[in-house]
Amino acid sequence: MPVFGAIAMIQFIIKRLLSGFSVLFGVTILVFILFKMMPDPARLVMGQRADVASIEAIRKAEYLDEPVPVQFLYYLNDISPISIYEDTPKNKKEYRYSKMFSIGEKAVVAKLPYLRRSYQTKRRVTEVITSALPTTAILAITAMGLASFFGILFGILAALRQYTFVDNSILVTTVLGISQPSYFSGVILGLVFGYLLSDYTGLSHTGGLFELTDLGDEVFQPQNIILPALALGIRPIAIITQLTRGSMVEVLSQDYIRTAKSKGLSFAKVVYKHALRNALNPVITAISGWFAGLLAGAFFIEIIFDIKGLGFETIKALQNLDFPVVMGSVLLTATIFVSINIFVDLIYGFLDPRVSKK
Amino acid sequence: MSKILLEVKNLETHFKTEEGLVKAVDNVSFNLMRGETVGIVGESGSGKSVTSLSIMRLIPSPPGKIVGGEINFYDKDGSVTNLVEASEADMRDLRGNEISMIFQEPMTSLNPVFTCGNQVTEAIKLHQNVSNAEAKERTLKLFEKVQLPTPDRIFKAYPHQLSGGQKQRVMIAMAMSCNPQVLIADEPTTALDVTVQKTILELMSNLKDEIDASIMFITHDLGVIAEIADRVIVMYKGNIVEQGDVYSIFSNPQHPYTKGLLACRPPLNRRLSKLPTVADFMEEKDGELVELNSSVDEMLASFEISREKHDAHLVELKKKEPLLQVRNLKTYFPSEKNFFGKVLNYVKAVDDVSFDVYPGETLGLVGESGCGKTTLGRTILRLAPAWDGEVIYRGKRILDLSKAEMKDLRKEIQIIFQDPYSSLNPRLTIGNAIMEPMQVHGILANDQERKDKVVELLETVSLLPHHFNRYPHEFSGGQRQRICIARSLALNPKFIICDESVSALDVSVQAQVLNLLIELREKMDLTYIFISHDLSVVKFMSDRMIVMNKGKIEQMGPADSIYENPETQYTKNLISAIPKGLVSDIKVRTSKGEA
Repeated sequence: MPVFGAIAMIQFIIKRLLSGFSVLFGVTILVFILFKMMPDPARLVMGQRADVASIEAIRKAEYLDEPVPVQFLYYLNDISPISIYEDTPKNKKEYRYSKMFSIGEKAVVAKLPYLRRSYQTKRRVTEVITSALPTTAILAITAMGLASFFGILFGILAALRQYTFVDNSILVTTVLGISQPSYFSGVILGLVFGYLLSDYTGLSHTGGLFELTDLGDEVFQPQNIILPALALGIRPIAIITQLTRGSMVEVLSQDYIRTAKSKGLSFAKVVYKHALRNALNPVITAISGWFAGLLAGAFFIEIIFDIKGLGFETIKALQNLDFPVVMGSVLLTATIFVSINIFVDLIYGFLDPRVSKK
Repeated sequence: MSKILLEVKNLETHFKTEEGLVKAVDNVSFNLMRGETVGIVGESGSGKSVTSLSIMRLIPSPPGKIVGGEINFYDKDGSVTNLVEASEADMRDLRGNEISMIFQEPMTSLNPVFTCGNQVTEAIKLHQNVSNAEAKERTLKLFEKVQLPTPDRIFKAYPHQLSGGQKQRVMIAMAMSCNPQVLIADEPTTALDVTVQKTILELMSNLKDEIDASIMFITHDLGVIAEIADRVIVMYKGNIVEQGDVYSIFSNPQHPYTKGLLACRPPLNRRLSKLPTVADFMEEKDGELVELNSSVDEMLASFEISREKHDAHLVELKKKEPLLQVRNLKTYFPSEKNFFGKVLNYVKAVDDVSFDVYPGETLGLVGESGCGKTTLGRTILRLAPAWDGEVIYRGKRILDLSKAEMKDLRKEIQIIFQDPYSSLNPRLTIGNAIMEPMQVHGILANDQERKDKVVELLETVSLLPHHFNRYPHEFSGGQRQRICIARSLALNPKFIICDESVSALDVSVQAQVLNLLIELREKMDLTYIFISHDLSVVKFMSDRMIVMNKGKIEQMGPADSIYENPETQYTKNLISAIPKGLVSDIKVRTSKGEA
């Protein structure tokens, strides 16, 4: 990156990481308080027919017999990548750590964040999340890829043909696109292309990205992404179109565009070289925010199309008051937002050298 | 090879607007000869910029369109192209290559996201078949030619990292990069300090000789024209009203508009009670121009104040107690911070400044951009935080006042900013904008009384009562500055700081606003601090003057005596950089060219 000096850039990243870290810390506290306001987890784990002894055992295992601040410290210790445990084979198996050094009976260890286990399935929360994340990520990337490409394209087109028939039609369409929620377009798209026309399109209304065959093999089903990605992409396309148009119209009236023309550059080059890069900032903000939102799970769409993504798992967990899973996905969502924000700030600096000065 | 380079015949460029058809250029004809510099002068809206953009075929369309006439370009190889009818592809070959252009705003004319080097090599590679390395080589040579310090660094720098003057040099390098035959410069120095303007003008005329180009120099300021042009074209409302060689235009102007433009520049060698304006020389009756006064000299003489009278006035001023006392004032801003936000270094914007302002006086503050004059004005009003020192207004220590006391004081001290375009809220009618400060400070009993007062104020600044419900965009720059003045008068202030209040205005409009300020000073017993980078304006307005440099006072004293006896090199440079437009200077310059 030509804009930053290497040192300035590293300083910038460190600062942003530190502030991102404090955001995550804040989120952890909030989530934990919320968790403490809910009914006794031990009962949730055991269900209705729990006997006193089992409940006590659970309480012990989940540290629920400790004071709340201590519980919080235990939780922090679990989710921190560097933490302290008693070095027993049982712990090693559960936390999957590698020991760094010992302090007395305890060991300081490095590990992946441990998000505990689901109350319902007893699966590790990390596993629940990592098995759902690829589906959600592919869905989000496809939807936002579509939306960014067509949104920017239509936006430029509308800006260049300002106040003409083309511009007006694009604008009217975007208003339509913004006004329909994804569960509505999802149902319509599924009904029309996945059911009524399914003989011609070859698409089905439901189905995940990774389907099990009768023999138990997992197969990737890329065509199943098309309808959900379209349904998810329609609103961002509309918004990106409008933002790109507005920003492009403003940039095209700038003095430096006149300078570029006065050099003798062709109109196409003026637009894509001199104007577009200047117009992209607000568009990037919109794309990144929306993308992070989709990564956290597209609840409606995952349910309509029966895709077992992050959104689906989170909703399920919420219904069952399966807190470890809920807390795990909230933390993951916060991490995604923080990292995308840092990344986007770097992109701003790259697109517009004036940003890095501040 | 034809001696004519560019022949503009009966050019008509019209704009379709909501108010109807505007004939921005209405039947204009002139020639540009080889090796010649033609100055086109006129106020905003006179059609001078539209003429140049028509030649480049860069009129924004819609709403603009060239509807008639010819622009013939006589190329070196003998071919003739009518630019009005040339294809877009042919025009692209000419633009930046044979005909190139420098624009007014160096701040916004370069693309902020590309390096300066990149933007110049782009032009070279577009028109000449050279490698990247060769293009870079040429760009660095060009940067050297336009006297940019450290060309290597500038090559890699982004526009926001350069000063205004440096940016304009990059623009000139870009325009010169393909050795054009025609160079159109549209107000290239208007946004720059006078000292920078001087160096840019010198650079342009040297380069012009070196690459044997012709220049079309467009400006609203006849003083600048006097420094550079061989021939002058005066435009008024889309028409050419007068053209001739520069000496005869200045020594013997024929058209009343030309006379008005010549007379409205603040003169350095005499003290006037007010400035003549274009309206003193002509008025329009039923679409016909009527000449009112014929002699510029007589006009100036009638406004002159004698030295004795002015000296007596100065003595009289100093008899009263000072209204404002500034003592050892310092304003520092942090310029460098370490990783933990600890300040390592400061910019000393105002560095130990002391002075007095007497009631009824106008104190001028002059200096180049960055000298601290604006910060000084803002610090006095507590719009910028003071670091140390004291500001005493009528015995009150301004810097120690509480928020409530300060609010009270703001009624008495007002500021008028530089940019009349951005200092008015576009969504507020001007009536409401003027009324707002009165509502904030609870002046007068109710809005009806306030409205009456606004109408009175509008009339004071020569606007009409029915302007009350109009929005800022409906007014010209000069009118907007009048609105800003009316707004600051709404609280009956005693003391006004004018921060570059006329710098964004055409010379002719500037004269009107300056006259208004003088008139108000007499009528309402006002005291001014008048801040500007233009020493001629400050000298005209001020009784005493402070020259500032790097946050410190360079020289302080009666305005006339500083002009006559500048003590330091900095002050001397400021004075010599002012385009004076003296006939004697033009004679020396033009005869040198012939010799």
